[in-house]
Amino acid sequence: MMHFLDAYKKPLALVGIIIFLAIPLVVENKLLIHLAILGMLYAIVASNWDLTLGYAGVFNFAHLAFFGIGAYTSGILTVKLGISPWLGIPCGAVTAALASIIVSIPAIRLRGIYVALLTFACSQLVLLLLLSQPLITGGQQGLTGVPQLQIGDFLFRESKYAHFYLVGLLLLCSTVFLRRLVSSDFGLSLIALRDFEEYAVARGIPLARQRLLAFLFSSIFPGLAGGVYAHFLIVASPDIFGFSLATLLLSMVLVGGVATIYGPVVIGVVMTYVSELMASSAWMSDVFGVSRGPVRFMFVAVLIVLTMRFFPQGVWGLVNQFSARSLQAKNTTVEDPA
Amino acid sequence: MTPEAIVAIIASGLVSGSLYALMASGLSLVWGTVRMFNFAHGALVMIGAYSGWYISNRGGLAKVLQPIGRNIANNSEDWGLIGDILHPLGEWILSIKAGFGLLLGVPLAIIFCGIAGYVIYIFLVKPFVGKPGADLVVIITTIAGASFMQNGVQVIFGPRYKQLDRILKGPPVEILDTAIGLQEVLIIVLTPVTLLLLNLFLKRSKLGLAIRAVAQNDDFARLVGINVNQIYPLTFVVSSMLAGLAGLMLGGLFFILPTMGSEPLLRAFVVVVFGGLGSLPGTIIGAYVIGLIEQSSAYVFSLYWAPVVLFATLILVLIFRPRGLMGGENS
Repeated sequence: MMHFLDAYKKPLALVGIIIFLAIPLVVENKLLIHLAILGMLYAIVASNWDLTLGYAGVFNFAHLAFFGIGAYTSGILTVKLGISPWLGIPCGAVTAALASIIVSIPAIRLRGIYVALLTFACSQLVLLLLLSQPLITGGQQGLTGVPQLQIGDFLFRESKYAHFYLVGLLLLCSTVFLRRLVSSDFGLSLIALRDFEEYAVARGIPLARQRLLAFLFSSIFPGLAGGVYAHFLIVASPDIFGFSLATLLLSMVLVGGVATIYGPVVIGVVMTYVSELMASSAWMSDVFGVSRGPVRFMFVAVLIVLTMRFFPQGVWGLVNQFSARSLQAKNTTVEDPA
Repeated sequence: MTPEAIVAIIASGLVSGSLYALMASGLSLVWGTVRMFNFAHGALVMIGAYSGWYISNRGGLAKVLQPIGRNIANNSEDWGLIGDILHPLGEWILSIKAGFGLLLGVPLAIIFCGIAGYVIYIFLVKPFVGKPGADLVVIITTIAGASFMQNGVQVIFGPRYKQLDRILKGPPVEILDTAIGLQEVLIIVLTPVTLLLLNLFLKRSKLGLAIRAVAQNDDFARLVGINVNQIYPLTFVVSSMLAGLAGLMLGGLFFILPTMGSEPLLRAFVVVVFGGLGSLPGTIIGAYVIGLIEQSSAYVFSLYWAPVVLFATLILVLIFRPRGLMGGENS
């Protein structure tokens, strides 16, 4: 199937894009469109996380902090300084990139569990700094009154297409960027460092520089997505740094398939739908009684553990495996008569 | 700084230091032995507090049992011989309307936490032991486990806050004109006793020696006939019981809610890194040092800045001494 995909890459991509463009024209339900936008934003964050987590093999726990920094930077600049959101969003990407460099400098000196602890501490430090300045950041309640996106008099929230196409474009750019990156020499050098560090270093791959660049490249699109997220929901909330969102996004990367990029993109959108629909559907409340919100996170948690246990390569990894097997089968049948 | 302030800082520093010491020593024990980092440790603290509340409080298990007790007491006369045996049981259940009390609640909660730790080991850790990259996979699975327990408790108990009864009731102790609550005094006294018992267990008992042997070299531990597959879950059980005790102490000081374990878990991370992963004395000293740093910086700067100072310290320690201030070469 994958080789079929490879052979007809361009026409298939074109068909995919056309179907995608048609979605808001066909779908009437506003909730579904809203979820699609949210799902695509999460897909951007998850697929970029795959760069450090999957390709570089660095256990980076500060990734959601880049998303949060993007949201807060754009939010604060627009609310407190009155800058246009179109300038605020790129500024968010710049601060997220700076933060990624600051985090990666100590992180590349460490190994294994210590990287996880350090990046975790960094992300908590960002959260605590935000909470310690309630006058600027809104503290625990979050920064409210973030202006919505508009061009001239056209308000993005009034139209059901505008946010959808904007975020879709961002997701497309992010995915193309990531796929190009991981199939380039740079991506190969990251994989080499992950799989056999000593040998890769002996062959002259600069470990520190490649890891720093991996952090940097993985922070730009989440920074942009964070800004769009804040203007889309007109709030920047400290919940971004919480355990629950981190678990959800982690599940997108893992269930989608580590080191695939496409996996987290597809599963990111799907998981957002599933988890949000679970939180809002009536049968969940009938089965589980009062609270529905927590149940979906329990479901996500079980899904993560089952994936790690039985399909550590994720959904996309399974697809790859099957297509490789079918190709092998085809090759042997061709060779047998000869 | 007035002497009253100094006494208050030291007292609250010792209280938080005690809680961190109980949590961090469990984390450190598991890391030293199994080479895994249990991110569900904070959720175990929460489980300890909730199970203690459920058993001891009148709104918990006692409330659930009342209708059953009433049923038995009223109808047992019709049941013949079985009824005669069950009747006192029903009467007894009816007599414990106010809950089972902390005398039963504390030990049962600690045992329950031990069982929870075993379950965590079986489902989230055991399948990955010995596989490449297992330490990182276990971080993920235990985070998922923590999320599962937090949200599960919220489904069962609802969002309303609970509080444990104080173990000691009475007027606070006064030292240099500073009032210190009896619960706080109990925590300050009880923690070193517990840690001393832990030390005795590790140094004198056969199982404790086996744990230390596995921590030092699990291949050689296997060679001398220690069943490593039993020592790993044992370590999880011991560490979870310590977390449960910390939760019971915390539940008597503050409100009990599903997320109550996350904050202390972060502090415990700081402590184990500060003291060196896997080094128990380092961890315990680190816990008290961190507790005192936190409380004095809360006094000098503000409540908001204290955690910032703490995490900045952690990052600096990680940059310059990644193995901790007291960590050895192999930790």
